[in-house]
Amino acid sequence: MTPERMAALVLRWVRFYTRGLDGAVAERRRDEIAVDLHDHIGYARGDGEADARIAREIAARMLRGVAADVAWRRRQPKEERSMRPFRRSAVRVAVGVALILSLPLVAMRLTSAVAWSVGDFVLAGVLSTIIGAALELAVKKAGSVALGVGVGALGIAAGVIGRCGDAPGLIVFGLLLVGSGGALALRRALPGR
Amino acid sequence: MARRKPGTLLPLENEILDAALALRRKGSATFHGFGLAHAIRERSGSRSLTAHGTLYKALARLEEFGLLSSRWEEAADATEGRPRRRLYELTADGLLVARSDRTDERIAPRARVPRPA
Repeated sequence: MTPERMAALVLRWVRFYTRGLDGAVAERRRDEIAVDLHDHIGYARGDGEADARIAREIAARMLRGVAADVAWRRRQPKEERSMRPFRRSAVRVAVGVALILSLPLVAMRLTSAVAWSVGDFVLAGVLSTIIGAALELAVKKAGSVALGVGVGALGIAAGVIGRCGDAPGLIVFGLLLVGSGGALALRRALPGR
Repeated sequence: MARRKPGTLLPLENEILDAALALRRKGSATFHGFGLAHAIRERSGSRSLTAHGTLYKALARLEEFGLLSSRWEEAADATEGRPRRRLYELTADGLLVARSDRTDERIAPRARVPRPA
């Protein structure tokens, strides 16, 4: 492998561990490593080193620094890593909504007592998404997972009671309770609002 | 990976300060990443250069402690299509610490580094 190809591999690793970080922080790290690699190759070639040896040296420098790279990334302030948690939150909400909507869907296949229209699914989906986002926000701001779990359990309980009442409207009522809990948590987390 | 005692520098950070001071005495007030890795290798007689991650993490820490400052090289100074280098320099505190006796791992009280975050 040529030193240039190895350098490209190192830069790919740098791009990987700087993904989702604040743009300026990530760019500085990438540019700094890029010029280091450029200088390394130039110096070693000028010193008469064989390309294969230069490539091995570059690979060794990357591998020996992996733990420090990971530690450096973990030390970056949370606000500089805002994109990744956002994506995680979105995935959690999407999975939650899918699970909630799968309940009546499965129930409709098993019994004729449950009969949701497309409109019911759309309404429940929209409300679940809003409530899920509110919950994520509440947990993030309040910093209490227990609070989020408690509020979620309350909503699920209300939803189950609603299902026993055989009325999709009661499930929606339960979901609204979850939303209220989320809003309450948010208010506690943001004093003065 | 070496653990830091409060108020002390890690071995690599000490090596960086020593190398920076040596370069300064030779007339190079500023230095860049690869140049520093090379200088450390020369001083220690090691066969390998300091790893990228280890080196730049240590430089960032020394900058956080106020012992180093850095800036990007002027574009006009980057010759033959070479990317711009990040140039580091010892600060006044960095110079004080670099000149102090750090053989027992403790550094002079006036130049004591802040606790890591």
